[in-house]
Amino acid sequence: TKRVGGAGTNASEMAADGGSSSLQLPCVFSPKSRQFLALCAQDGRLRIWNTDSKTLHQEYVPSAHLSATCTCIAWGPCRTVKEGPQRKKRKSEAVQVEEKADLLAMGTAAGTVLIYSTAKGALHCTLDGAHSGGVNCVQWHPEESLLYSGSDDTNIVEWDLQTGKTRSKWKADHAAVTSLCVSPDGKLLLSAGHIIKMWDLDTKEVYRKFTGHSTAVTTLRFATTRPPDSNGLYFLSGAAHDRLLSVWQVREDGKDKNSVVSFTLTDEPQHIDLVTSNSKEEAVRLAVVCKDGQLHLFEHFLNGPCKKPLSPSCTVQMSDTKESPIPIPLLAAVLGADTRTVMLAYGSHLQPVMEKVEINTAERHVCLTRDVQTTLSLSMETTVSKVKTPIVNAKSKVLVPGLPGHKAPLKGTSQGSEKRKKDTDTKEMSIAERLGEIDLSTVSEKGASKGTASLTTDNFAVLLVQGLESNDASILNKVFQTRKEMVIKKTVARLPLSAVLPLVEEVTYTFVLSYRAALMVRWLKAVLMHHTSYLASLPDLVTQLGVLYHMIESRVKMFHKLTKLDGKLYLLMTQVSANICSVVHSIISFNLTSQELSLSHKERMSLSSPHFCSYTPGSCEAVKTQAEKFECCF
Amino acid sequence: MASFKPTKIQVYPKLGEKVTQDTLYWKNYKAPVQIKEFGAVTSIDFSPVTPHNFAVTAFTRIHIYGPFSQEPVKSFTRFKDTAYCGRFRSDGQLLVAGCEDSVVRLFDVSGKVALRLFKGHTKAVHLTDFTSDRYQILTGSDDYTCRLWDIPNATELTTYTEHTDYIRCGVTSKLNRDLFITGSYDHTVKLFDARVEKSVITMDHGQPVESVLLYPSEGLLVSAGGRHVKVWDLLKGGQPLVSLKNHHKTVTSLALSSNGQRLLSASLDRHVKVYNTTNYKVVHNFDYAASILSLGLAPDDASIVVGMTNSILSIKHRKNQEDSKEIAGQQRRRPSYRVFVKGKNYVPKQDDYLVSKPVKEHLAKYDKQLQRFNVSKALDTALGTYIRFRKPEITVAVIKELDRRGTLKNALAGRDERGLSQLLNFIIGNLVDARFTPVLVTAAEMILDIYQSVIGQSPVVDRQLLRLQDLVKREIEFQKDLLEVLGMLDTMFASSLPRKESASASAPTVDPFPTCSLNTDS
Repeated sequence: TKRVGGAGTNASEMAADGGSSSLQLPCVFSPKSRQFLALCAQDGRLRIWNTDSKTLHQEYVPSAHLSATCTCIAWGPCRTVKEGPQRKKRKSEAVQVEEKADLLAMGTAAGTVLIYSTAKGALHCTLDGAHSGGVNCVQWHPEESLLYSGSDDTNIVEWDLQTGKTRSKWKADHAAVTSLCVSPDGKLLLSAGHIIKMWDLDTKEVYRKFTGHSTAVTTLRFATTRPPDSNGLYFLSGAAHDRLLSVWQVREDGKDKNSVVSFTLTDEPQHIDLVTSNSKEEAVRLAVVCKDGQLHLFEHFLNGPCKKPLSPSCTVQMSDTKESPIPIPLLAAVLGADTRTVMLAYGSHLQPVMEKVEINTAERHVCLTRDVQTTLSLSMETTVSKVKTPIVNAKSKVLVPGLPGHKAPLKGTSQGSEKRKKDTDTKEMSIAERLGEIDLSTVSEKGASKGTASLTTDNFAVLLVQGLESNDASILNKVFQTRKEMVIKKTVARLPLSAVLPLVEEVTYTFVLSYRAALMVRWLKAVLMHHTSYLASLPDLVTQLGVLYHMIESRVKMFHKLTKLDGKLYLLMTQVSANICSVVHSIISFNLTSQELSLSHKERMSLSSPHFCSYTPGSCEAVKTQAEKFECCF
Repeated sequence: MASFKPTKIQVYPKLGEKVTQDTLYWKNYKAPVQIKEFGAVTSIDFSPVTPHNFAVTAFTRIHIYGPFSQEPVKSFTRFKDTAYCGRFRSDGQLLVAGCEDSVVRLFDVSGKVALRLFKGHTKAVHLTDFTSDRYQILTGSDDYTCRLWDIPNATELTTYTEHTDYIRCGVTSKLNRDLFITGSYDHTVKLFDARVEKSVITMDHGQPVESVLLYPSEGLLVSAGGRHVKVWDLLKGGQPLVSLKNHHKTVTSLALSSNGQRLLSASLDRHVKVYNTTNYKVVHNFDYAASILSLGLAPDDASIVVGMTNSILSIKHRKNQEDSKEIAGQQRRRPSYRVFVKGKNYVPKQDDYLVSKPVKEHLAKYDKQLQRFNVSKALDTALGTYIRFRKPEITVAVIKELDRRGTLKNALAGRDERGLSQLLNFIIGNLVDARFTPVLVTAAEMILDIYQSVIGQSPVVDRQLLRLQDLVKREIEFQKDLLEVLGMLDTMFASSLPRKESASASAPTVDPFPTCSLNTDS
């Protein structure tokens, strides 16, 4: 079903796909202990959440977080960390230093790689100067302190973190390198550009090539550790807009042209976690979170090709607790030590909720319900331990949103910015606070509290004037559909004098349509009330309003007769209902005597209409419903 | 024997838009041909020579369409970026276009590759035009300059740097080879004279100028920008004549009808307005599906071409008299005129003895039934589905006729549940119509009188009676409101009365109909 890569794809297509896949926000759990979740949200901030306490652990704003957005994150291997200097003094604690996930590599769209240290809570170092295009992926070497990054400029760079310099750099492909993966033993590197290539890391030579994906490959993972016989090495790949994960076998004889196994998903993969198998007897466990927010769990023994695509052993969805449930998207999932526990991150990127869940994998489909609202309303202000904001120096260029080429008004840094700097040193203001401040200032300036209603009527008046000027039916419709008396009154009151006569004309015109007339009367009344003096001052008032007057007059001519008809109808209908009343009475008395609540049709017919010769069963129903109504009354 | 008089169907006046010469003229177009272009259509220009092909600039292409083709007869695709403002020379041989990459290209209409490239601007060129001597080109760009170029040796002649913002529109004089006008986003329209190498007149439009247009006489200039269309008198040194504000979004394009009597403006609010150029009143209005960016009008108003932001080009062709006749002929062959007038036009001579033959009268079905006094059946016929929904005035006329004869009671009586509910449905549907109320109220009262003994038996009829009751209640409420309004109007008329006491004592009853827009609709 797949096209052979390279045959029908061109570079621009690949680039376009890569671009769309980079919209996925990077979201990674720290290795081993799963203590942290690193998440880069839309606003370019890196947030590290503690999965145990479910609170924000650290927040870091890269200095160029808007122009050089973070495209990928990778946790470095766990290492022993020296604690901060003040802690070092306590000898009792210094003894029990544990291995902790510390370094975090972030690739940016500007082509730099930032190394952030969670232990320090600050930027460790910046690796730059090697890429001319945006970085698409970063991968750590499992043992040595090496880092690999793949970029849009088609190169792979090997960084030495001891020195912070590039160790080697080579051209990997014709197209942008979209994904990388280092094998668990650290000897092989997979790269995906136009095609998937396997590199020998010692010699930096291509070991194997694999073709098969037509869109940009977003995920590469080794599924097994390298066994003694080379036939047992498998890896996994997923691509943008592709609902299949492909498994490839690296074979001794080199006959590895096509993927051996594929896993079906419901959407393109967003986050993958995998427990590698070390032997043939051990199954590979896989947790895939798709773009549509579903989690799929797979378990498969990898031994040779399997023709049919495999469907998940278990699918997990999440929804909220409302009456009409809305799905909550899952962001990431990692597998626990045993087969049942899964760590989930879900909800919004700005404030994800982490949870360890036991899933009954015997069932194929599991739906979890969570109340996100309450969990989201937790205040986070106190839990933030360290928040860093960029320090802007005087030389830095400030980009103002707007059209490029347009000279945006540049304002020199005034005292205001200094003030703000002082504030931000301690804590950054939240959006809500800022809004509140803005609100207060406007109110105090104008000195009058303006309700929201006035705002809407203001818009309505503008809309109405525009609609009358351009004679636009859709706008006028929108305005005239209002039913609120207040809105109508205020709109008319705000109307400029020049628009009054056109409005009257428009009202006259729409008056013919009977279904609109009732609403139009309100408008007419409002106009007459608010602009009496203006209208009365018009010399040709009679000709202006004559049509309207005649139309109204002809309509109210029948008022007398209509009222009479109403009286007649009223009398008859009350009599009818009184009749039904008496029927109900008899039914109730019958019910009481026979102690039987449900009546057959025949019985009721005999009760309600003994003297009517023709009676339809439908009428029984009507009587029944009416009888029920009256029962309620009693 | 007195002949039977057919039921008189009342013709009611209908309030509506006034039918004028203009609406007839501008409505006389066929259904639009819609063509999907590659991007937003930014410019449409008609060739000045027959067969009046037109160049459509959309995204990186310029397509030339013939007057009746729906496929481009020619297309220029050699643009590296978005093309702008493809314009024909006055002989229709050459075409010039600007581009986002700041290069101006000159094409031979029959060729494919650009004949000349004019390089010199530093930003996108949105305005290109030929001068009337046909050997020079005017260009205006986003680098705030407009330039004159020599076509034969592709050199720049003059640069004008008077504007302080993007130059997005302009036009050259057709009478004088040295005059041209540019409109800019700095809110000004400037008239330049190449002989003195600077602007001669500057007009402040007040908004970024999107389009300018010269009258054929070149005494008047029209500029569009923001929501305004403004007319300037050039002979009086750029004096503003009129400011029109009939759009609710930015006006993007202007055109003049072939006789110069009507001005058209197109806007982002999806409307094209037609103005009378003698009093500058809107005489007609076209609606389109999306925001309009460009507008073109073929010579003799043979077609209206509109380019929109959703990259659709809409072409409306004028209906021909022959076309409509042909279609009518195909539809149905009627007996020829001769058959009807056979012998009718014979004028009797003096001595002839005239034997008159009774003219056979065609009667409608209900009339025939009325003639035979089948009153119930006549009413049933009048309540037939087509008449009931499409021509309720006939049904009402029949009920009225029955009432006049005094047989309405008979016609209404003796109906089963279905017949009665149909009748009530009709009454409910039309009772509030002021034209029908008097007749229908009488009928409703009669129905109640006849059927009051059996009310309560049928749930269908009961439900309808409840609906009727509800309707009547609402109508009464409404009429109460109306009476209040009437009271207000009376007061107002009374207060304005003293001024013209001499005119008439009973102002409200002065017949306003001659002045208002009433037209009878059969």
